[in-house]
Amino acid sequence: MNKTALKIFTYFILTSVIISTIMLCIYFAGFAFIASDTFSNSNDSSPRRILNSISENISTAGGEVLLQNDVNIPDNTWCILLNGEGNIIWSLNKPDDIPDHYTINDIANMTKWFLNDYPVYEKATDHGLLVLGTPKNSVGKYDIEYSMNWFSTLPQRIFIIFFMNIGLAALVACLVGINLYRKINTLTKGIKNMSSEKPVKLKEKGIFKEMAKNINETSRALGSKNEALAKRDEVRSNWISGISHDIRTPLSMIMGYSESLESSGEIKECDRKKAEIIKSQSLKIKKLLEDLNLISSLEYDMQPSRKKPVKICPLIRNIVSEIINNGLSDKYSITLDLKYEPALISGDEFLLERAVFNIINNSITHNPKGCTINISEYREKNNVYLKISDNGIGVPDNVLKNINIIPKTAHGIGLPLSYRIFTVHSCKFTALNKDGFSVLIEFPLK
Amino acid sequence: MDELKNKKILIVDDEKELLKIIESALFNEGFFNIYKASDCREAVNIAKEQPIALFILDVNLPDGNGFSLFNELRTFSQAPVIFLTARGEADDKIHGLGLGADDYIVKPFLTKELILRITALLRRTYKTAEAKTKISLSDRIIDLETACVIYKGKSTPLTAKEFILLKKLWESKNKIVTNDSLAMAAWGDEYYGDEYYGYENTLMVHIRRLRKKIEEDPSSPKHLITVKGLGYKLVIKNE
Repeated sequence: MNKTALKIFTYFILTSVIISTIMLCIYFAGFAFIASDTFSNSNDSSPRRILNSISENISTAGGEVLLQNDVNIPDNTWCILLNGEGNIIWSLNKPDDIPDHYTINDIANMTKWFLNDYPVYEKATDHGLLVLGTPKNSVGKYDIEYSMNWFSTLPQRIFIIFFMNIGLAALVACLVGINLYRKINTLTKGIKNMSSEKPVKLKEKGIFKEMAKNINETSRALGSKNEALAKRDEVRSNWISGISHDIRTPLSMIMGYSESLESSGEIKECDRKKAEIIKSQSLKIKKLLEDLNLISSLEYDMQPSRKKPVKICPLIRNIVSEIINNGLSDKYSITLDLKYEPALISGDEFLLERAVFNIINNSITHNPKGCTINISEYREKNNVYLKISDNGIGVPDNVLKNINIIPKTAHGIGLPLSYRIFTVHSCKFTALNKDGFSVLIEFPLK
Repeated sequence: MDELKNKKILIVDDEKELLKIIESALFNEGFFNIYKASDCREAVNIAKEQPIALFILDVNLPDGNGFSLFNELRTFSQAPVIFLTARGEADDKIHGLGLGADDYIVKPFLTKELILRITALLRRTYKTAEAKTKISLSDRIIDLETACVIYKGKSTPLTAKEFILLKKLWESKNKIVTNDSLAMAAWGDEYYGDEYYGYENTLMVHIRRLRKKIEEDPSSPKHLITVKGLGYKLVIKNE
């Protein structure tokens, strides 16, 4: 599970637990509100209050029962007072279908229940049993009994219900979270593929239908744009390649004839010099053509196409020996310190050779009075480092500043070209002027 | 060397001016058996009639390409081939050399460089009897035919590895030959593979033994020089 998924789950579970707790409290309160009959229990005209009021105001004088004060009794409510023998000794609004005598069984039957379908309320007073009746079908009565054990275990059960509710909410949240994560994950993968320029085709359904549709459309648009760009680059690259190809043969003839004139004894010295200039300038054009093709392939192809495992140490030895074999002046000396012989890099050997050569050649051309060039190679953790440094005068600051830009002219193209070659090989290239010039290249190990 | 300059060379290129330039440059260097062709058909006809010792082929030709022409020529001739072409892409070079060509030169070129390469290739392929078999190192003679060092009339044989190493150094005489090139020549890819890097010590042992055979004072060698960190150099004067 990744970090995002964990965040989603935590968020979902916490939110669900909080919501379920709040909802549970609301349900309890609501249940209490629904279950309580506030009207009949708290109102002044509730049967219990009327009954109490009558019992407080009833008195006996000379064997006659009297209601002393004026008690507010609704018209549809009636009241009777029974003596110890079960006879009515006083009544108020008594309906006709209410008997005048009651046995002990009648009393037991009606207690807390009904008398001839009238809901009744009883209260024992000094004067007898006071019975208050309310209209038929006005009150419902249910006999509820709980054991004392029920009461003692009630808090535990409330807690169990509470936690089960939280657990259930968390489980549901988890399932919803997994479902949502899967859907988001598909979208995330789609976006990720899009960023790495892979074609994306997501299923357009469910709650993220609109989003999936937008991603698919963006991917299609990107694909067509990349295709157009690749086509344009290919046309440019082919054009450059074609032009350089077409220049090569005429240039061969220019060089051939200028060489022939240069070595001819039949022409004047000044003409021989002119031929020499034509030849040297042709050689410059030749070099430019080679650079142009190289830059074009690096610029438009972006990645080296002929990748293979390249051994770094033999590559360096080969370049250095070539430079020395081609007649390196005694003003220069090259020292080698190659510590990690097994270093391998996946890359284009020709390009890498060119890149290393350019750096060494840069030290030679920038220090006409001579210098010592130190080349060291070593491993640190999972990287191999190649350091090429000299004790010369360094390079101009603007060259260092613009090392990642291929210059518009051929002058100073060597280092930017090396920089480009190493960066397309996923290497880190650092160049600085410190006691001369030095370049540090960090190779990722193959 | 005269014998080499008698060799027949066929240049194939559709640019007539370029043919003239190369012919003229070769002629000035003493090569006089030069044949020219402007297309594949003409080249094959000449090659079938004349015992050509070296082919110089352009790749883009009016009735085909140099690569297919190379294959056709190989059916009846094993003479060395140099591709001389405007196709400078690395893929083309790899293709050309992969077919078995001996060299691949991209236009534009210096005629002097072309002549040097032609001469070197002819020398390697058709070495004179002397060059083929004898190397002179001060007062010692190395006979490549018998793989022996002859000193004061006494012959000391070279081991197979010593012989390969000495031959490799001699091919690039007076130039540095890297440890890697020597190891590759002596042991090939299998030994010099991805896993093994201890060849340098083995190489040193062979070089030490070789010095004992070819140097007057092996502890201060004059011919087989160590170039620190890079490799070795076979120094031969007046060669």
